[in-house]
Amino acid sequence: MSRRNLTRRSLLKKAGLLTAGVAATPFMGPWRYNRVYAAASDKPIVIGLTSDASGQYANSGASDRRGMQLAVSEFNKKGGVLGRKVETIHIDTETTPATGSRVAERLITRHECAFLIGAVSSGVANAISQVAQKYGTVYLNTNSSSPTESGKNCHRVKFVWDGNGTNFAQAAVKNAISAYGKKWLLMTNDYVWGHNTSKATRKLVDQFGGEIIDEILVPQGTRDFSAMLLKVQQAAPQVVAAAVGGDDQKAMRQQVSQLGLGQKMAWINNQQDWPDVYGLPIKNLFGVFGTTWYWKLDLPGVAEFVKRYQAAYPDTKIRVPGNVFYNGYMATRELLSAVERAGSTNNRKVIQQLEGLKVSARDRMQHHDAFMNPGTHQMQQTIYLATANAGTKDRDDMFKVLSQSSPAEVRDKGADAACKMESLDATPTYET
Amino acid sequence: MPNLVPHLLNGLSLGLLFALIALGFMLIVGVMELINLAHGSLFALGAYFAMVIIAPELSWLGSVGEGYQALPLAMRYGLAILLAPVLVAVVGMGLELCMRRTYGKKAEYGLLLTFGAALVIEEIIRLVWGPSEQYLQVPQAVSGAFLFAGLIYSKYKLFAALFAVFAILLVWLFLERTPYGAIIKAGAHDSEMVRALGINLTRLRLLVFGLGAGLAGLAGIVLTPIWGLRPHVGIDAVIPAFLIIVLGGIGSFWGAVLGGILVGLAVGITGAYASEWSLLSMYLLLIAVVTVRARGLLGRKSVLEA
Repeated sequence: MSRRNLTRRSLLKKAGLLTAGVAATPFMGPWRYNRVYAAASDKPIVIGLTSDASGQYANSGASDRRGMQLAVSEFNKKGGVLGRKVETIHIDTETTPATGSRVAERLITRHECAFLIGAVSSGVANAISQVAQKYGTVYLNTNSSSPTESGKNCHRVKFVWDGNGTNFAQAAVKNAISAYGKKWLLMTNDYVWGHNTSKATRKLVDQFGGEIIDEILVPQGTRDFSAMLLKVQQAAPQVVAAAVGGDDQKAMRQQVSQLGLGQKMAWINNQQDWPDVYGLPIKNLFGVFGTTWYWKLDLPGVAEFVKRYQAAYPDTKIRVPGNVFYNGYMATRELLSAVERAGSTNNRKVIQQLEGLKVSARDRMQHHDAFMNPGTHQMQQTIYLATANAGTKDRDDMFKVLSQSSPAEVRDKGADAACKMESLDATPTYET
Repeated sequence: MPNLVPHLLNGLSLGLLFALIALGFMLIVGVMELINLAHGSLFALGAYFAMVIIAPELSWLGSVGEGYQALPLAMRYGLAILLAPVLVAVVGMGLELCMRRTYGKKAEYGLLLTFGAALVIEEIIRLVWGPSEQYLQVPQAVSGAFLFAGLIYSKYKLFAALFAVFAILLVWLFLERTPYGAIIKAGAHDSEMVRALGINLTRLRLLVFGLGAGLAGLAGIVLTPIWGLRPHVGIDAVIPAFLIIVLGGIGSFWGAVLGGILVGLAVGITGAYASEWSLLSMYLLLIAVVTVRARGLLGRKSVLEA
């Protein structure tokens, strides 16, 4: 049996270690629940940009990213946020949900990002938000618009900034039934956004007395639409409601335009992202479609915003900002403002700030005041319907805005019922 | 049943386009036993070169530039169809020169090099022409639509399918009726014997790679007015091309054509009747064929087979 002597030196050593350990406790793991160690004022606030740089939404992902980066650079020019510089790290989410999960995990655990921003694909956004919720990291879904994102897949840490499929359908369906007819055919991208948008459209078509005569599911990655367009002709609908996005949509537009089908029947495209059509011939831009913003809205601040974009990105091929850029910018700007108001990067404080967010129409550069729905975490905002600006001489002025609807008119009531969000207490605290 | 006929015709035309995509890929695999993963990027490059030839920015050339731009679109398009594949063939030959260090080594070296080349070409396209969607103009005579049996069809699609038939026949004539074709076929059959007969195998490989790349570029020019033109459009071409040559039998000319047509029919018919299966249908077809006939439809019998 060994005997251990308690000397003055060993006692002091142990007491010292114990004191150091107790003092360090708030700064130690498990990291998942307690990440206060790094809130030193000189440490930059790192934001992970989870936008696509490849795959179906590569182009929109780049636009989304430019929006986020402009907002970040404007804050940095003003001295940062809470006196800390804001830095960004981007990893390509490849328009693939599995990659989205991996990227989110890596950005949070390895790069210690305070916040994650970015998505165009709803499948990717859903995957990222599950990881973000696990760690308590605030995540902004900037541009994906499946109703489920603020419905059954909502999370306490996730905030959705784009209008969703239901909002756009609300704005379009009733008018389209009375203007064009009751026989509708749906063309639906075969993934979460397409399916949920189709569900919302079906419900509204039923509600307003229309009839869905067929639905054509479009697998992601479809490049040849000829068989589907022959089937559309055989079915002879009065209205085709398309929820087809990204590169699929570009190919579809091209082929519909070649056949002249855009003039043979009414086309309602749930939402039209600017990077998907920018630079295409105007004849490819048939039908009526939804958007959250347009660079030629006659509202205060819009022209100046366009100039800021052009000054920041003089070399980009897209010479004027579109809805995807706008959403990326607005989301990032409001997040950083929320951090300033919270006086901390603590996730719970930031969440509370964002849940109470109200933005005036002037600040949003839209026609109506906007607010964050605290029950679904979706930005309630103006929805515009537009069509091709035929006969324009300005090749950047591609849209003609037909109408604008207030947030109340296009509210997604289904999301309120479907969203069962984690409580704030059940969300891990997180701060960097 | 009458409803099926338009879909069969549509599937056939789609199949011919798929066969055109696979042709260059088949030549390179057949002769060089190399899977050229840059095939898709060369496909895209052909379309971008054509776009520049059709609608170039020539203001710096003054009246000469204006004169060129005043030429009828059909003439500039014709020039693009002739010239752009040649330019892509030159790029392909450059790639083949880089490939030489990988010959005689494990197949992975060649795969990695062509994969790397695909990424580099795609990024160069992005840098030069930007990431946005571009538009390849086609002559007025082949744009628009025509009515047949109560349905509207695209004139361009018909033109593209007929052009694919023309290109397939031209390649076949080259392979079957010229001494160069005989050498290429011999090279595909037994490259050691070709070398032993005193034929310069190095030059043969350069020629075949250039020809394969040129055909990829040609397919890009024909297909992108339908699919749209963006830097990563090549990925939409390389996967079906690979699948078609395995389906048809590696190294078999008519196997590639038959494989392309079957894939087109599968995609076209499922696109009409079970659209959610339309992309998957080509993979299911491949599985079905290789399960019963591992060497593909018209592939040569392996010496290992009884």
